[in-house]
Amino acid sequence: MIGENGVSFLRGNPEQRIDPRAVPYWRWSAAVSTGFLLLVPAGCYWAQQRWHWPTWIAFALLGLTLAYAVYLIFIKPDIRWKTWRYDVSEQEIDLLHGVFIKTRTLIPMVRVQHVDTVQGPLLRHFGLSSVTVSTAAGSHEIPALADDVAERLRDQISVLARVVDEDV
Amino acid sequence: MYKPQRVHPLGILFFTARSVYSMGQALLPLLLLAIAQPAIRKWIIVAIPLLLVLFIIYGVFYWLRYVFYVSGQELRVEYGVMVRKKRYIPFERIQTVQITAGVLQRLFGLVKVQVETAGGGKEAEFVLAALPRKTALELQNILQAGGKPLEAAPAEVDPIEYKLSIRSLLLLASTSNGIGVAISALLVILSQLDDFLPQLNVWVKIGTYAEHLAAAKVSLIILAVFILILLAWLLSLVGTIIRFSGFQLRREGDSIKINRGLFEKQQLSIPLKRIQAVKVVEGLLRQPLGMVSVQVVSISNTGVKGEGNVLFPLLPKAALPEFLEKIAPEFSVPLAFEKLPRRAKRRYLLINTIPALIIAILCSVFLPWGYVAFILPLLGAWLGSRQYHDAGYQVEDNTLLLRSRVLGRVTMIVPRRRIQSLHVSRNPFQIRSGLSNLKVAIASSNIAATAHLKGMEKEKSNDIINGFMIQHE
Repeated sequence: MIGENGVSFLRGNPEQRIDPRAVPYWRWSAAVSTGFLLLVPAGCYWAQQRWHWPTWIAFALLGLTLAYAVYLIFIKPDIRWKTWRYDVSEQEIDLLHGVFIKTRTLIPMVRVQHVDTVQGPLLRHFGLSSVTVSTAAGSHEIPALADDVAERLRDQISVLARVVDEDV
Repeated sequence: MYKPQRVHPLGILFFTARSVYSMGQALLPLLLLAIAQPAIRKWIIVAIPLLLVLFIIYGVFYWLRYVFYVSGQELRVEYGVMVRKKRYIPFERIQTVQITAGVLQRLFGLVKVQVETAGGGKEAEFVLAALPRKTALELQNILQAGGKPLEAAPAEVDPIEYKLSIRSLLLLASTSNGIGVAISALLVILSQLDDFLPQLNVWVKIGTYAEHLAAAKVSLIILAVFILILLAWLLSLVGTIIRFSGFQLRREGDSIKINRGLFEKQQLSIPLKRIQAVKVVEGLLRQPLGMVSVQVVSISNTGVKGEGNVLFPLLPKAALPEFLEKIAPEFSVPLAFEKLPRRAKRRYLLINTIPALIIAILCSVFLPWGYVAFILPLLGAWLGSRQYHDAGYQVEDNTLLLRSRVLGRVTMIVPRRRIQSLHVSRNPFQIRSGLSNLKVAIASSNIAATAHLKGMEKEKSNDIINGFMIQHE
């Protein structure tokens, strides 16, 4: 079968989508971080005033930053939301995501060490939480789920992972 | 063992040295500043012995307070002068126990014991700096046999043993890949010279000297480079001999014991069930000689320096199956591989030649004789085709085999139940050509313990995913 991303996997792709409010959340979070990024051309402009660097450097940097900001704020969040899929079954956690590079990640439930929900101030504003699943080899995040969904998912994974409490 | 006990009084020295070292590290810049001022210099000469005495007193108290004992199924340590700390480690959480005999410890017939758990941090969770060897062995036995007394150790009917012969040691040392490391170490030392002896202006002198040379003879520069490389090679040779001489591997029941070291004798014990994966490395220089080095991926911090994870440093390739069968049967599988499809080759060629080509073009534009750098893309193409040729995979007996090459050829043997997570990724080019990358994450102290294979047939990676999902446990 062919998935929506043009990525086909023999066994079906995961199907759960993340919360649609993820899109405005990512837009705002990108807006904040690109705001900081604007400091680079600003610094360059200052340096140019001071040491008489050529003018075009600051403007080229500004253009690049703005283009990147447009991509991060207006384009990437939509694609990212459209491509994110997850599924949690008794046996494993199944993630599929990626804007350009599509990555499918499988985490067997027996390997899960612990699971957290994370909520920063911006996420809280949108009523969202992220779920982070940790194994002995690192952690994986399901970003931007509705608070109640995230909590249910966390409790569910925690119970499923406890069933087989095997030593690393 | 079951009553709280202290380490040997030599421990005072180690505790003192450790606090002096950490203090010194923090205060070194301040100290250097102070020495530069003649007025303060006098005071420092008085202050240093005084501080030293204080540190020794602190060391003595630390030693008095530092006790360890075994209680139930736990190893317990209690320590701290101002802040009392207690650390309890359940036996089943212990990953490895390492016994080391440094030069100083050997004078007193003592050893150092390091106990590692899966917890993070650069240092071992638990370090007993000075213990009599007998106590250490007893402790190791209790910790790893789950509390059984020494007598219950597995009968030594047929201990399986591998030793590194002197010839192999020399071969290992002369082909060790530490050359690059040694060169950079030499360069670091050279650059430090300038900081320590600013009035000498070492770099300026070398610079002017080099200019004279360049004016005079190119051959001298080549000679200098050659000498530098030779020196680096000798350093890495000596380093390898110091670390690996007397290497001996023994399997005792369910654990592997490794002894090695010229000055500092180390004994490492790894329970078989703690081994997450086996890595077979064929270095560029060693592969033509038919030699491989066998490493393990496990959760212990001793491997951070890149030596604690060596299972056996140099083994003829032909002896590998028998070695794995005897030492780590879980990882003994036939090493046959499925190759990548031909259309995956382009990626390996491009990724190695394009950066080299750019460097070569820049060199030939900006440097005299720069066009010599066009040898780089040729080397890149050769390497790329080797990388493609060597890449392969196999699923055998619930074990995943991945083989790839960066410079040396690396084969990872990962039992299915040791896989922490499995990743399949596709970039836009690969989506078009039906290829995919496979990544397997393995538990280890080192975050980067993953095995990769780039450019697999899409269907094959699907098969691996499906097989993995159906059959794990």
